[in-house]
Formats: sequence, C-alpha cells, structure tokens
Amino acid sequence: MSKRWRNSLALLLALALVATACGGSDGDSEPADESDNVEVESGDTDDGGNDAPEDEPEDEPEDDVVAAGTEAEGDEDTEVVATEEVGRYGGTVTYGIEAEATGLRPWEDACSSPCINMATSVFDKMVEFRSDGTYGPWLAEEFSSNDDFTVWTFKIREGVTFHNGEPLNAATMDAIYPIWQTGAQSAGPLGSAGMDVEDPTAIQSISEYEFTVTLTRSNSALPAIFERPQLLIFEPGAAMDMAEGFSNTPVGTGAFEVETRDLDNETVMVRNENWWMSDAEGNQLPYLDSLIFRPIPDEGTRLDSLLSGTVNAMQTLRQGTIRDARDSADGLTLYEFQGNNVGGGMFNVAVPPYDDVRVRRGLTQMNNQEAVIGALGGTGISLPGTQWFSPDSVWYSEKAAAAWPQFDFAAGQETLQGYIDDPARSDGKAAGEAIEIELSCPPDPTLIAAMQVLEQLWSSSGLVDVNLTNYDQQTHINYALGAPPDWLGEHGAHCWRWSSDNDPSTELNRQLVPYNAENAVANGLPETLVSPTNFNNYFDPEVLGALNAAIATDNFEERYALYETVMLAFAEDVPLWYSGHTATLIATEDSVVGLNSWELPDGTLGVGHPAAEGRWNQVYLDE
Amino acid sequence: MLKVLLARLGRLIVTLLAVSFLTFALGASLPGDPINSILPPESPRDAATISRLTDEFNLDQPVLVRYGYWLKDAVRGDLGFSYIGGQPVGDIIKDRVPVTGELAILATLIAISVAVPFGIIGGYKEGQGVDKISSAGVQIGLSVPSFIAGIFLIWLLTVKTGFLGLPSTGWNRISDKGIWANLKSAILPAVALSLSPMAFYTRLLRSDMIGTLKEDYVLSARAKGLSSSYILGRHALRPSSLSLITIIGIQIGILLGGTVVIEQIFALPGLGSRLLKGINDRDLQIVQGIVVFIAFVYVLVNTLVDFIYMAIDPRIRKR
Repeated sequence: MSKRWRNSLALLLALALVATACGGSDGDSEPADESDNVEVESGDTDDGGNDAPEDEPEDEPEDDVVAAGTEAEGDEDTEVVATEEVGRYGGTVTYGIEAEATGLRPWEDACSSPCINMATSVFDKMVEFRSDGTYGPWLAEEFSSNDDFTVWTFKIREGVTFHNGEPLNAATMDAIYPIWQTGAQSAGPLGSAGMDVEDPTAIQSISEYEFTVTLTRSNSALPAIFERPQLLIFEPGAAMDMAEGFSNTPVGTGAFEVETRDLDNETVMVRNENWWMSDAEGNQLPYLDSLIFRPIPDEGTRLDSLLSGTVNAMQTLRQGTIRDARDSADGLTLYEFQGNNVGGGMFNVAVPPYDDVRVRRGLTQMNNQEAVIGALGGTGISLPGTQWFSPDSVWYSEKAAAAWPQFDFAAGQETLQGYIDDPARSDGKAAGEAIEIELSCPPDPTLIAAMQVLEQLWSSSGLVDVNLTNYDQQTHINYALGAPPDWLGEHGAHCWRWSSDNDPSTELNRQLVPYNAENAVANGLPETLVSPTNFNNYFDPEVLGALNAAIATDNFEERYALYETVMLAFAEDVPLWYSGHTATLIATEDSVVGLNSWELPDGTLGVGHPAAEGRWNQVYLDE
Repeated sequence: MLKVLLARLGRLIVTLLAVSFLTFALGASLPGDPINSILPPESPRDAATISRLTDEFNLDQPVLVRYGYWLKDAVRGDLGFSYIGGQPVGDIIKDRVPVTGELAILATLIAISVAVPFGIIGGYKEGQGVDKISSAGVQIGLSVPSFIAGIFLIWLLTVKTGFLGLPSTGWNRISDKGIWANLKSAILPAVALSLSPMAFYTRLLRSDMIGTLKEDYVLSARAKGLSSSYILGRHALRPSSLSLITIIGIQIGILLGGTVVIEQIFALPGLGSRLLKGINDRDLQIVQGIVVFIAFVYVLVNTLVDFIYMAIDPRIRKR
C-alpha cells in the first residue's frame, strides 16, 4: 500500500464513520534478506538431460542485452564525491535501522546491514573498500603479498588504542586469531579464503606492528576478507573476559564507543576522543558527539519517524519505502545505492526434477522477471538480473547477460516438454505427466506476491504443478541447509538472494565447493573440502577451477574473464534464477552530511554506503 | 478462603504445566535439525561441535526427557539461554515486562476511563442522541484494527501535526529519561491498543446497565427520590460491573500476548516483539520462556479477578 493511499484512508477515518478498514503494511516492500550465504553445490547435473534448445547463436539480437554501465530509469544511485568542506563538531545522529543487531561479537554473531552500521562504528577493519572497487589501508597502513599470493603481510598503523586503553599491535592479532579459529562467523571466511584454521601459525606476528597471514593456496583477493564484518578487530582480552557480555559492551578501536545498549530500543554510542584518524585539516575525528541506533522494524513507521523528526536518518532495503521516501523528499537527502545484490531463487540441483537442466532452464525461461520485479515493487528501479553483477559493476559481462535464459514462455514450454516427454525422466513419473515442484519463500508480503506471479506463470504452462509454501526465515534457511552427512536439504525451488559488492571471490569461492564429502570424493577432491552452505548443491569442477584461478592472479582482465566463465556456466546450467538487483537507501535530514564523501587515511575516496551500510566516522551536522 | 486459595494455586500449576509442555512439544516437533536453530548456517559443523551442543541441550533425548530437564531448571528460576546472543531468558523477560506491562495497564486504564462513563450514559440514555453517538464510536473501535489505529495516530499526531512533540516510535524508560518522556512514548501505542477493549467494555457495560436500571430496587430508589447520579453510581454500577471485571481480567491477558503488532509498529522493546523475534529465529528457549510467563500472568490476573469478584459480590463470598 502506498503512503498516499494510507494517508487518504486515515483521513476518511477521521472524517467519517468507516465500517471496516483492512489495510496492510506496505505491499511494495522488497524481499527480506534471506541469507548472505549462498552455496552452490552441484550434484550430478544433467542426468540424461539433453541440452535445451538454448544454444543461441552469438549474433542473437543484442538489443535485449543490457549494456555495461546501464542503470534502470528509476535507479538513482547517489554519486560518491570528494568534498573540500570541513566538517563541524557536535550533534547527534539518531538512525532508524531495520532490525536490532543480534550481537556485537563480530567473530560469533551474524551481522547484516543494520548490524554492520553499528559494528563498523565501534570496530575498525584492517582494510576498507574504495570507490573504485579496490581495497585500501584502514587499520592496516599497508599490506602486500609474496609472488604467489600465499603469504600476506599486514603492517598495523602505530598509535591505535582500543576503547579500554589497550594498544593495537601485532601481538593483538596473535590473541585474536585463536578466537577467530573457532568463531561461528569468522572461521568460515578464513577457511574459504585459503587459510588452514587448524594451523596456529596461519596468522602470526613478525614484528611489533607486522603480522603475516599464511594460506594453503593462492588468494590474490585476501584483503577483501578483512573488509568483512566477521573480521572486524576487537579487543581480545575483553572478549575473553566478558564472553556473551561483550555483545553489550563491545570494545573496539572504532570512532564511537557504546555508552548504553537497550536491546530493541536504542543503542547509544559516543565519540571516541582517542580515535586514530583525523580529517584532511588535521582535526580529530569523528565530528559527531553521539550516534544513536534505533531498531524500527516497520518500514512505514521508520520513514514516519524520519519525517516527524524522531530520528534524523533511516535506512531501508525495500523498494516500496524508497519510492515513498522519494515522494516525501522535501528536507531530506536520499543516499541511494543499487549494487550487485540480486534477488531470485535456487533449484536444489541434487533432487529430481531439478536435477535436469531442461527443468531448470524451462522454468527460468518461463520466469517473467519484469512481472516479478513489479510484484516486488521494483518496476523502473531494478533491472532484471542475469548474473551476480549489476550492469554498472566492473565485473558485469554482456556476454553472460546474453547467455542468460531470457523470458520466452513458448521456448520454456518447449524446453520443459522435452523433459516431460522423456520416458527416462529423473522424477520417475510417466512420460507426459506434469512435473511437481515446491516453490518456497519466507512469509514476506512482497515475496509472497512474487512467488504467486511465478506460480501463475509456471502453472499456466500446463506442465507444472506448483505447491507454494511459506516458512519462517530460520526454517527456510534450515530447509536449504539440510543435515549431515549429505547436506542435501529439503527444498526444491527456494527463494534466495545472491551476491554482494565485495570482491567476487568472497561469495563465489565460498559457495561453489562440493556440498558433501561424497560429492568431493566423486570429483577427486579431499573429503574435507565441503561446505554445507552450498545450498543449491551445484558443483562443477570447471567452475571451481576458474574460481581458484581467479584468485591466483591479481590481473583484472584475467580475473574478469574467469568470473565471466563462471557466470556463463550459471547461464548454461541454470542452478538459480534472478529477479532484480536491490536498491537500498539511507535517508537523512538535509543537515546530515558526509555519507557519500568519506575518505580513507590515504586520501582516496571510500565506497560510500553500499547496501545501506553507512560509515558514520566522517559524518557531521551542517546546521 | 484457604480452600479457595489452594484451589486457585492448583489451577495455576496445572495450567502452567499444560502450557509449557504444549509449547515445548510444538517447538520440538518443528521441522529441521534443532542444531541448525542453534548454529548459524556458516558455522562449522564438525563432529565435536555437534556433539557438544547435543550434550548441552540434550538433543538426543526424547521430548519428555528434555521437557523434564527444562522443568527442573524452570522451577528453580532458570529458563535457559537464548540460542542467539546467549542472554538468560529470565533477564530478557525482566527487561521487557515493564514495557509490555505498562502498555497493557495504560491501555486498560484508558479503556476503562472512557468505557465506564460512556457505558453508564449509554445505558441511562438508551436510544437517545448521546447513546447513538457512543454506539457509533463503539462500532469504529471494534472495527478498526489496533495497528491501523496506530499507523493513523503516528501519521496524524507526529508527522502531520507534531502534537506535543510526541515521538513516532521508541520507548523512553522512566529510569533513563523520566516519567514525562516515558508517558510521551507510551501514550500513542496505549491509545491504539485501548480502542478495541474500550469499545467492548462500553458496549458490555451499557448492556448490563440497561438491564440493571430496569430492576425493581432501582425503581424503588427512584421512587424514594434519590438523584440519578446517586442511583447510577451507587446502585446500578456495581452489579453491572461484574461482567466488565471478568472481561477486563481476560482482556489484560490478551493484551499481554497481543501487543506484538503494536510493539512492531511503534518499535517498542516489549515481550511481544521479542517473542516474535524468537519465533522467527527459532530461538525456542525464548519462545518457551515468554509463553510460559504470559500464561503465568494470565492465570494470576484471572485469579485476582476472582477475588475482586468476591469482594464486590457478597453472594459469591457466601458461596
């Protein structure tokens, strides 16, 4: 429901006697983040499956292919620009976020966009993300690797102290590493980055301010891992002493310190007077006196809170709320971002009938992405996804976009008919019988609308019986996860979300390994090289080879070509489907300045505010 | 009296046992491996970790046995720990009860303070203009869901008019910000929550008043020349309020469990929002603890209602 319609209804209630009102919350909201973990695990793909009639000639009309750099008409990414302005001291930003942080123990507690805003205010990263997509110095003054990218050396900047006065130096990393080795959030990324987390020397100090990271294989993109929230730098002594209590009184080196933490109500952070960074004029940062985070789950009231002045900044990852904010933009500054993160879903490639590429391709060809995007409220804002990279990403491939099965209902029916008429079809049904699929999404209103669009499309083919199911988020994830030892999951066609704006290796390399020991051994790989979070059970040794090669070089063109190979494999094997890339927003009162102009210590421009993750350490109030 | 007390206590214990077991059993029957509720998806699932968690939470035991372990700890006041974040469930409940409790009490007080006069007037002036207006108001109150009322109040009073500087969302604790700030943050959600019970109480009291005012003793009182206000307040209200008191008792329990939506809309750190989060996170210890607590309060409140009944109606006392 749009805000205008809601307001009109409210006015009616005030003026007249209304018998019933049965509104609802915003129906245009974006799907909730289902998971940041995408593991593609291929079982045996294409069992007897013929190639779908999708070997389209390369001279397929390229008019339909979105050119690199294209943005949707309604995509209003806020430009990241350097500024000559000097910030002013003082004031408080009260920030309405989507949800409370589960906890502020980066190595242990899951952390998505709302939490990342909080965590990166209290803790610092070793490296930060620049606007050009490279990684630059933050706590680490410099970092380098040996020739084959198996040993990385980080030099920590001197003079940095934690909030409790403890110094940050290389010995700190010696103390942090054992915590990372067993951390629920930290161990996985370290392992997938190529570290042997059982090796006590994989991270070790070599001088007072230098430490090394030793890998079991090359990783040219290792710094990307140290930009992630799981590896934020915390004071290890306090973490050991406080255990779960650390979550409420975290100790980091960040620009702000937690003063009070009233869960699900407000977390108040105050300026760290001893933060290590200054602005270009030499003024100690941060500018703000305090930063208050208020979890406000309801999208409409979060925006209302900004409009009423209860908060002076808010975030949203929902298209409908972005539209409403644009409509109410007087006196507001909208920091918008649309990146790689793309909605859609996955097929459980290990189970029939999804184990046959004709089924996956046929269903994908019958997916009218524009209609689904419309149901999600993203019409004009989001372009249909064709790969893990948005058209304005440096990694975007027009070739992969051309290869992706475009919406062609008749072709989809034909492809699927090939499977249905196959007497040796994998689901064991008789030739000619419709396939049965379960389409499952979490019970979010826009996701339900989107799945109903898919259900109607697929059912109308006459070839598919669709069973729609909704489970709470945790169950939805658990169904995809499965259980040991096979980790196959209990899902079929499952709503999911893919990609991030980080280096491609951070997501792809983590997810495209064998899904269980049997799958690993069958492909000649060690049985320990498995990840249960390869949720769609898609594995292709050539894809893994390309991914490993992509982190064995730091040459961009080579890496680009290899990731393009991976996206082409997705287009060929279709283990997943896409809706549209996700727009995000941080909306603030006009006085809040600096979210799109923050810099790294070396003077280079930061990445801005991807996925509504604001960096508040250089924000000020221009009043 | 002692017998009554013991009977009530027995009922309380039986109810709590039933509610806690049902909740536990339902949670245990949810699909999926319970380990996956405890461990995040990206967490390592080596044999040692799984074994440790299995022992810690007795996951390899039958449901009855696991319930027994939970009950043994619960009677000692230990409701377990949240799977996510590790906070003691008891502490979580303690933090949130003041919010939900204040909301429920405020909503009830607002509802009663409006319902009683309008119910009396409606009963006394049956069929007249003021009764018709009151009835129309009752219709609106019963028809409009509390979350719609909440959204409307936020829009009208905070966004459009900035009335009294009321905040749109959030909760100001008395201990942190003082009582006036607390009331400012509580008033809008309490009003939204009170509308439906307010309408219900008004209608109920009005109906009972109409019946009571036709009783012979009321006619006698009129014949004696007593004033209308005296008759209404002294002779009619008390017997008419028995149903109302019963309903208030039931309603408080409903309010305690029914603040979920209002707490979500207004972003309040109450029991309802935490219960919802626990359900979404499959944090079964939280769900178990909060449900049992709500059941406990519900039975307690209704026991109190019974005693108030006895105080008001001597006939029940004599029975």
